[in-house]
Formats: sequence, C-alpha cells, structure tokens
Amino acid sequence: MKRALALLLGRGWSSLIPLAAFVAAVVGFVSLPVFTDRPLEIYDLFNLFEAYAQIGLITLGFGLVVIAGEFDLSIIGIFALSGVIAVQSGQHHPFLGVLLALVIGCVFGALQGLLIARFRIPSMPVTLATYIALLGLTRVIGHNQPSVSFENIDTTLWVQEPVLQVFSPRSLVVLGLFALTALVLGLTRWGRELRALGGDRKASRTSGIPVDRRLVALFAASSALAVVGGSLAAFNTGAAITDPGAAPLTLGAAGALIGGVALTGGRGSVVGIFAGTMSIVTLQQIFIVSGAEESFTDLTFGLVLLFFVAVNAPDARNGFVRLRARRRTSTSAAPKGRT
Amino acid sequence: MTRAAPEQSASVTVERNADDRLPGLLRTGLRDPGNWVLFAVLVVAIIVGASTPRFFTIENAKAICASTGTIGIAALGVTLIMVCGGLASLAVGETAAVSGMVFLTMLGHGLVPALLAATLAAAVVTGIQGWVIGAWRANPIILTIAVGSILTAVGARMSSTKAVAPASEAFEHLNKTPLGVPVVVFALLGLTVLVQLLMSGTRLGRLMYAVGENRAAAVAAGLPVAWTVACGFVVAGALMAISGAFSAASSHTITLEGANQLTFNAIAAVLAGGTSIAGGFGSATRTLFGALMIATISDLLLLRGAEVGTQTLVKGLLVLVVVLLGHVRSRRSRT
Repeated sequence: MKRALALLLGRGWSSLIPLAAFVAAVVGFVSLPVFTDRPLEIYDLFNLFEAYAQIGLITLGFGLVVIAGEFDLSIIGIFALSGVIAVQSGQHHPFLGVLLALVIGCVFGALQGLLIARFRIPSMPVTLATYIALLGLTRVIGHNQPSVSFENIDTTLWVQEPVLQVFSPRSLVVLGLFALTALVLGLTRWGRELRALGGDRKASRTSGIPVDRRLVALFAASSALAVVGGSLAAFNTGAAITDPGAAPLTLGAAGALIGGVALTGGRGSVVGIFAGTMSIVTLQQIFIVSGAEESFTDLTFGLVLLFFVAVNAPDARNGFVRLRARRRTSTSAAPKGRT
Repeated sequence: MTRAAPEQSASVTVERNADDRLPGLLRTGLRDPGNWVLFAVLVVAIIVGASTPRFFTIENAKAICASTGTIGIAALGVTLIMVCGGLASLAVGETAAVSGMVFLTMLGHGLVPALLAATLAAAVVTGIQGWVIGAWRANPIILTIAVGSILTAVGARMSSTKAVAPASEAFEHLNKTPLGVPVVVFALLGLTVLVQLLMSGTRLGRLMYAVGENRAAAVAAGLPVAWTVACGFVVAGALMAISGAFSAASSHTITLEGANQLTFNAIAAVLAGGTSIAGGFGSATRTLFGALMIATISDLLLLRGAEVGTQTLVKGLLVLVVVLLGHVRSRRSRT
C-alpha cells in the first residue's frame, strides 16, 4: 500500500498534500447537499467533470512545465487564441479548426521552447512577454470584440452531450489526455527526466539527458494541451472569449500547486495535478451551488494560491528548518548545561 | 545576474575610460544595447509619426504627456521592484485601481488625506508582498497573480452596487493644467527625481542594487535582504497608488477593467527603458523615457486606428525583444 502510494505520488510528507486535497474534494462533493438543500444528483457529478474539463488542461500544462523547473504563462494566451482560431476556422468543420489551432500552438510552443533552451533565457520573462503579445493577437484576430460566436450548434451540443450520465465528450478528452500523459511519463524515462530537469539542470545535462530537445518538446506539449482546452471550451460555450482575464492562470497555478507540484521544480506528478484540479473544481462547484458572489471565488482562490506560493518559497522552508534545528539544539544543550 | 570575474571587469573599465574620451552623448548612449530599442523605436516613431496626420500637433503632444504620466508613475514603482530582484508585479493595475477607489471614497476628508490613505494602503499591501519575496524567495510572478485575484475581489466588493464615485470635488486639483501641462506630468517628473535620488543617493538604494544583482552574495554579506526588498515594494506600492489616484481623478471613477493594460504598460515601459528584468541594473530616468516611448506607441497606434488588441500585441512583442536583447547583453558581459 505504502509502496503503491509512493509510486503514484512520490515520497516525503509533502507528497501527502495532493492525497489530502483529493480527500477534501470528495468530502466537499459529498457535502454538496448542505449547500443546495437537496440530495446529491447524478448531474452534480456531470457538472463537476465539466468544470474539471474547463481548467484541467491548463493545470496540467502549467504543472508539467513547473516540474521541469520552468514557467509557461503563455498558455493562457494560447488558450484564448486557440479558442478564437478554432471557432473562426471551424464553423463548418470543427475538427479542422482544432487541427489548425493545434498546428499553430505546437509550432509556437516549440519555437518558444527552442528560444528558452538554446539561449538559456529564464522562461518567466519570455513567456510573460509572449503572454501579453498573444492576448493582443487574440483580440486582433477576434476583431476587438469581447467574444467570437460559434454558429455550429451541432458541435456545441455534441461536446456537452452526456456520456454514461457523468461524462461528456469534452471531459472524456481531457481525462484521456491526463491518462495518456500519466502513462507516457510513468512508463517511459521521460517522467524521470522531467523531474531531473527541474531538480538539477546541470546534473541532468551531464548525465546525458538531451535537455534542449526535452524543453522544446515540453513547451510544445504545454501549448498543445492549452490548445485542446481552449478550443473545447470555446465549442462548449458556443463562443470564444478574447480576454480570459487572470482567472484561468490563478486557477491553473493553484490546481498544480495543491497537486503537489513544487514551484522550485523537480517535484510533482500527473496524478497529483489531477487531485489538485479536482479539489479546486469541487470548491468552485460549492461556491456556484451556494450562490456565492464571483468576488468571493476570486478572493478564496487568490488566498489559496498565496498560501501555496508562500509554502513553496525555497527560503520559507529553510527558515522553518533552521528554526526547528535551533529549538532542537537549545533543548538538547539545556540539560548539558546543568550537568 | 553574475558579475564578471575581477580581472575581466578591470579590462572593461579600461575600455570604458578610453571610450569616455570620445565626445558625444549619442555615442555613449549607443554603446549600451539596452538603449538600442529606445533609439530604434524613436526612429520608427518619427518616420511613422510624420506620415500620420495629427501626430505632430500640440494637442497630441499634450495627450501623450498625460498618458505618459499615469503609465510612468506606476512604471517607476515597477522599476524599484525589478532593480531589487523582484522580477515584476502582475498586480500593478489591480493595486492602482483599488487604491484609486480608496482615494475616491476618502475624498470627503480632503485631497491630501485621501491621497495619503490610498498610498498608505497600497504601500502596506505591496510591502508585505515584498517582504515575503525578499525573506522567503517566494516566486514574485505567481505571488502577485494571487494578490491580483484578491485585489480584484476587494475592488469588486467596493464597486459592487455602482461604480465608485468621488466623495467631493477635491480631486479636480489633480486635473489642473498649470502652464498648459497636466499636473500628472509635473508629478511624474518630480517623482522621477525623487526615485532617482532614492536609488542612487541613499544607502537603501545601493542595498537594492546589491540585492538585485546577486541575492546570494547579499545574504552572505549579511545585508538586510528581506527589508531591502520590502522597502522597494513599499515605495512601489505608493507609486502605484498615486498613478491610480490620477487616473481616478481624470475619469471621475475607476474600475478594474483596464487593470491588465496598466500592468502591461508599466512593465513594458520599464523594460523598454533598458532596466534589466534580472535585477541590479536600471534607473528611474530610463523608465521616464520608457514610459514616454510606450505612451507614444499607444498614441501612434490609436491615431492610425488600431485598437486595444494591436496595442497589446505590439507591447508584448516589444517586451519580448527587450528581454532577448537584455539577455544577450548580460551574457556578453559575462564572457
């Protein structure tokens, strides 16, 4: 049991965070009737998975890049851009729209990764710049309208049609991508390499990991995930929103961090990110059914993210360890002084 | 950023001295790749400006100055954050908007108390972020995203029933145009001088450069790293609040809608001026020119009929170019 857990989540007390988050999510979901005054129904679970499908691929993309010790803020820009591209060029053939967005997203992600890997530029400033530029580009392509409507109602209905009562084609695609990523990272050496990249870049270079190629693939993959998420979200709403605001980034980062991804890199797993996303989404559902104001949601997720950023700060942990060590030495030194 | 090894930096100083004998401010300016963007944009702006009707007019110059004011004051704050190694804040717009709301609601007590309340609130909130970043090395971008979300909630609460309205007419003092120039321009110039004095003339300023240049070395040398970064953020927060107060005064209300634009503009202005995003290098005067440049670009695009989308795209690309150039420069100084 313990070994299986360690295999799934990693070792150490901090690996228990995603598990705790998942348990909290389940408890929260089961206690939904407290907020709604009606028993749990099957569509509560359907809604939960729909909300998961909305942000899941952003948390996954963000989380994977952070595990490798990098950052990708541009996925929010790609998320918005791909929605507009998929809607505009997919009015008749939605699949072609997604394909076009996927090609553009992958090429962009790979180029960005190449830039970051080759020139060893810190990814935060670069992706901050591309995030701003992509948001602008999305608005330009969307003719500066707040949203671009999707006229293909059949596709919208198909994307949200219940499958097995609790899933929809959209949530199944997202779940499938999570499972695929988990399998690829678990069964090949890429999973270990991903953590190695984030844990110690220099050591992974010397030990023969093709760091540059992995980074290019990673940034392309995070963009691709954002493309799928963005196009499906646009199909689902029947419109692509040109300015997603900061909310997806807050939710994505919070989900990944709750899922046990370390902001300093080197730690985290797909299963953890899934658990983190589910707990975020459950909280969101509780707010929705209890009719909480949007500002309350913003406040809560802001505070959650703030807490996890503070916990993840490298020197916060060092300070804590130092404090504990000092207390320990002072207690062990005290009896010595008396004798 | 890593410093050059001692023997290398010695040779660089010799080279600099030789170059300084050459006359011409332009030559000195052009030697620094950080200024290339500034010069390139200047040339492009003059060429495009000449072909744009109504660009070279007094009215337009005034409009550019006014928007340089609000962008520039917030950008001065971002300069301090960047120099002391705090990367950037993604909550600039939100901080400015919420403190603008505080300013408007406190106007009943007079102009100065309202300004003080707004700056104090922003200074405290931003200062705490600075302390967490300085002491614990928390990730500044993700931290300020979280704070942005919290401030959005606060701002939405403050303006939930209706848009925040000024409690008195005292704000009109901020809209005056003595000598035909908006007050905000004088404020920007005055604050630029003050921030420049703080950065290059005080112990705190030198500490900020030291911490931003190499945090590990600053820690090893026993410098008060956490307090230095916290102080930088305190002043930054106050500046964001002043920027918010001016934009609240000019439009008689303030919303969270344009928050992102101010954040992007401020970051773009600082980077365009040549301040390094890696920390330890930059100045307030650089930011003044950067803000002027961003305001001019926005104005040019607006006159040519481009909307928000194009403006954001151009600024994003500009930031990208500056970040890449800055990286090339820091690598060159290392080898």
